[in-house]
Amino acid sequence: MAAEAGTFLLASPLAGGGVRNRNGPPAAGLGPRSPAADVGRPGAGRRGCGSPRVRVAMAVDITLLFRASVKTVKTRNKALGVAVGGGVDGSRDELFRRSPRPKGDFSSRAREVISHIGKLRDFLLEHRKDYINAYSHIMSEYGKMTDTERDQIDQDAQTFMRTCSEAIQQLRAQAHKEIHSQQVKEHRSAVLDFIEDYLKRVCKLYSEQRAIRVKRVVDKKRLSKLEPEPNTKTKESMFSEKVSQNPSKDSEEKPITEEYPEKIPAEAQPELGSWGDGRGEDELSPEEIQMFEQENQRLIGEMNSLFDEVRQIEGKVVEISRLQEIFTEKVLQQEAEIDSIHQLVVGATENIKEGNEDIREEEGPTKAKVPRPQGPAFFRLWNPRWPADVLRRAGRSHFGVSLAQ
Amino acid sequence: MVGVKMAAAAAASIRERQTVALKRMLNFNVPHVKNSTGEPVWKVLIYDRFGQDIISPLLSVKELRDMGITLHLLLHSDRDPIPDVPAVYFVMPSEENIDRMCQDLRNQLYESYYLNFISAISRSKLEDIANAALAASAVAQVAKVFDQYLNFITLEDDMFVLCNQNKELVSYRAINRPDITDTEMETVMDTIVDSLFCFFVTLGAVPIIRCSRGTAAEMVAVKLDKKLRENLRDARNSLFTGDTLGAGQFSFQRPLLVLVDRNIDLATPLHHTWTYQALVHDVLDFHLNRVNLEESSGVENSPAGARPKRKNKKSYDLTPVDKFWQKHKGSPFPEVAESVQQELESYRAQEDEVKRLKSIMGLEGEDEGAISMLSDNTAKLTSAVSSLPELLEKKRLIDLHTNVATAVLEHIKARKLDVYFEYEEKIMSKTTLDKSLLDIISDPDAGTPEDKMRLFLIYYISAQQAPSEADLEQYKKALTDAGCNLNPLQYIKQWKAFAKMASAPASYGNTTTKSMGLLSRVMNTGSQFVMEGVKNLVLKQQNLPVTRILDNLMEMKSNPETDDYRYFDPKMLRGNDSSVPRNKNPFQEAIVFVVGGGNYIEYQNLVDYIKALI
Repeated sequence: MAAEAGTFLLASPLAGGGVRNRNGPPAAGLGPRSPAADVGRPGAGRRGCGSPRVRVAMAVDITLLFRASVKTVKTRNKALGVAVGGGVDGSRDELFRRSPRPKGDFSSRAREVISHIGKLRDFLLEHRKDYINAYSHIMSEYGKMTDTERDQIDQDAQTFMRTCSEAIQQLRAQAHKEIHSQQVKEHRSAVLDFIEDYLKRVCKLYSEQRAIRVKRVVDKKRLSKLEPEPNTKTKESMFSEKVSQNPSKDSEEKPITEEYPEKIPAEAQPELGSWGDGRGEDELSPEEIQMFEQENQRLIGEMNSLFDEVRQIEGKVVEISRLQEIFTEKVLQQEAEIDSIHQLVVGATENIKEGNEDIREEEGPTKAKVPRPQGPAFFRLWNPRWPADVLRRAGRSHFGVSLAQ
Repeated sequence: MVGVKMAAAAAASIRERQTVALKRMLNFNVPHVKNSTGEPVWKVLIYDRFGQDIISPLLSVKELRDMGITLHLLLHSDRDPIPDVPAVYFVMPSEENIDRMCQDLRNQLYESYYLNFISAISRSKLEDIANAALAASAVAQVAKVFDQYLNFITLEDDMFVLCNQNKELVSYRAINRPDITDTEMETVMDTIVDSLFCFFVTLGAVPIIRCSRGTAAEMVAVKLDKKLRENLRDARNSLFTGDTLGAGQFSFQRPLLVLVDRNIDLATPLHHTWTYQALVHDVLDFHLNRVNLEESSGVENSPAGARPKRKNKKSYDLTPVDKFWQKHKGSPFPEVAESVQQELESYRAQEDEVKRLKSIMGLEGEDEGAISMLSDNTAKLTSAVSSLPELLEKKRLIDLHTNVATAVLEHIKARKLDVYFEYEEKIMSKTTLDKSLLDIISDPDAGTPEDKMRLFLIYYISAQQAPSEADLEQYKKALTDAGCNLNPLQYIKQWKAFAKMASAPASYGNTTTKSMGLLSRVMNTGSQFVMEGVKNLVLKQQNLPVTRILDNLMEMKSNPETDDYRYFDPKMLRGNDSSVPRNKNPFQEAIVFVVGGGNYIEYQNLVDYIKALI
């Protein structure tokens, strides 16, 4: 059968699948009709409003019919003895005829760029799962991806993207330089726009997964700063010692504790015990414990509020960066517009200058010292068609006098 | 030629269907699936004027771009060879188009050719193309050939017209002129039937056809029935099989096609309009959902001798995404003016909100305390910035509608269209007239000669008895004084004589228009739509003749008007047209088609009828 079945999705299918049933089963019979709900709804162009799968009657594919016609014509021509383009000779002709047609260096390069971008996309998609995988450090080697590998991917992707966009720029420059008809130029710039858009979409893939990774790292760092109780105490008691202790020793201690948050408190304790004047005892007196506890509480409070503020600031920074992005876009847009306005203004200034000069010329050899100009120049200048400011500028003082009269 | 389709909720609107079919065609006739990381494919679109008219209300240039079309060109224009690009053609299979396509093949303009014909191409023309392809050794380049069956123009979700290019060919005049020959009539009928057939193919349903007897509509019905029947019988090539059935498959009902002849109601097309869309169509230059305005520079007094300011032309597209248009296209005009005002005010409020944020941000450097406010404001700012495009779009729409409505208002005031509208409504509903017809016709301020002629014709058509000779002479004189051409009157006289409805002239029900006072509320709120002197008329909806006929047929009501309508069912094996409808159930879905031309008033009336049913 010539007609093929054509089905496709206009919008995401309804949860129940299938077409919305208009009135329920026909047995409901005289139920209220709901014709033309379409009329009240906004027009086509909306998507995802749960419209059912739209099955549109298929257009009829008559390609086979066409090929049959070709055969018919061939046989007819042969019967009539008419020379035909196709056939044995024709194939050679075809070859000849095709070769001078420029295959388009442009299009082959464009396709190259597209295939490169495709490779990038495949590469990103392939490693995406591993990249995003948060638990790679506890998984088996199979799905593991170290941070260095991730960094490598990031870097590769970035260089790749840069080269692709450079290639596109080059193509654009080349297309502009070559002399071609207007239509071909338009076509080529549109093609380049499409390729750029493709690159953007693939870059989005990359930036999405990178954003996830960065977020995860930030979260991890955050968590790692808030240590569980014993460690916190250790850390904070060490902080309290900061005041009296040797700063160098402190700087030694701090990095160690930060890097190994899970470090057993026992390890820290002996170190604590090792220095300190008068604090070498294994047991702390109850007052001191209390004091330490109070300080701990205070420090916890401080840390918490700091943490909250930092989180807020983070949020704001994210928003600000988003805003920045939007602003940059707009500014860039405006740049182009401002350039054109600038051109226009320059052009207009030139015109006015020339106009003024013309007026001054018209004034003739008589110099500006003459109080009242006579004759045609006067009348021409007094023509209300000229806008007032031009008059003013050309007129100087003496014209002002004459106009006032 | 206008057809209105009232669909039940589940069916996709005809606009969606046609758009989808077009997109599929543009995607090389493979169903279109959106893939966010798909490789770009580019192509060139070549169309003729018919194709252009079909595509332009449905797809914007941006949407064409999204489908990968880099260039869209007219078939009969100078086109340069573009290497290495597939070309999609969307043309009617006419002689000259085929010739041009063969020329393209010979000149090897493009890499590959995807030929799509708006309506079915004949075998002989296909062979012509085959010939040219062979001669140019380009047979392999012709990748696909399709019959699209899209020979109609969809303007609204539920309204379509036959064509825009050659509309005189299928106009009322073409069908009803006295000097028409049989062959010409055949051609006209064939054109109409072809478009209707394409419509049903796209809809994916075989309708049940009903039409009045002895009219052009009957001729159309007979031919359409025959064509559908032939297609259904041809099991191999039927366009209506299995998967392609749309809503018809899931409902147990088929749609009803009501073919109505224009001659049952000639007053409505002449009637002056009062709803927004109808007014725009009547008063401004409005075609294919695009309105062209000429902006005048207003009533400023240009200084003596100055060159008059050039009137700039503006054109606007009234599309389905325009929410204001969708909401108000059927509203009476004063309501529209008010709504534009309201929209403008709400837009200004939003704009002020954004500006206020700007000033708050300005405090940042000055006041420490303001930094605490920042936490809210960053979020507010983000939301404001992201809502900016929406706001700008809203502004654009408000500007658009302000301009359009102002233009319409100017016409109304200049021609006193509100007076005409009210008067005609009174005539058509046979309520007493407070002003004499002669007064209005002789009034030099009110309306163009065409307006006066329209008014008089409506009076003549609706009159129970023809006015006396003396009266008629008086009217004729007044009309001629006003500058009218009296030919239309001649025609209407003849028409009335022929019309079998002489006994029952189309009754329009008791429509009353309530006048809300000369100075409307709109004036009082200081809107820029100064509607002083324009009556704020409100319509009380009644069914026009076309709507009444539809109502009777859909609900299977018995009514002398529609009882002897013919009944065609292309799916029935025996092709006899009994007047007894086999289908006893009321219909869910209907298509109304006026042979001779419909209008926006009837369209709106049908839409209102449906709304009232829900």
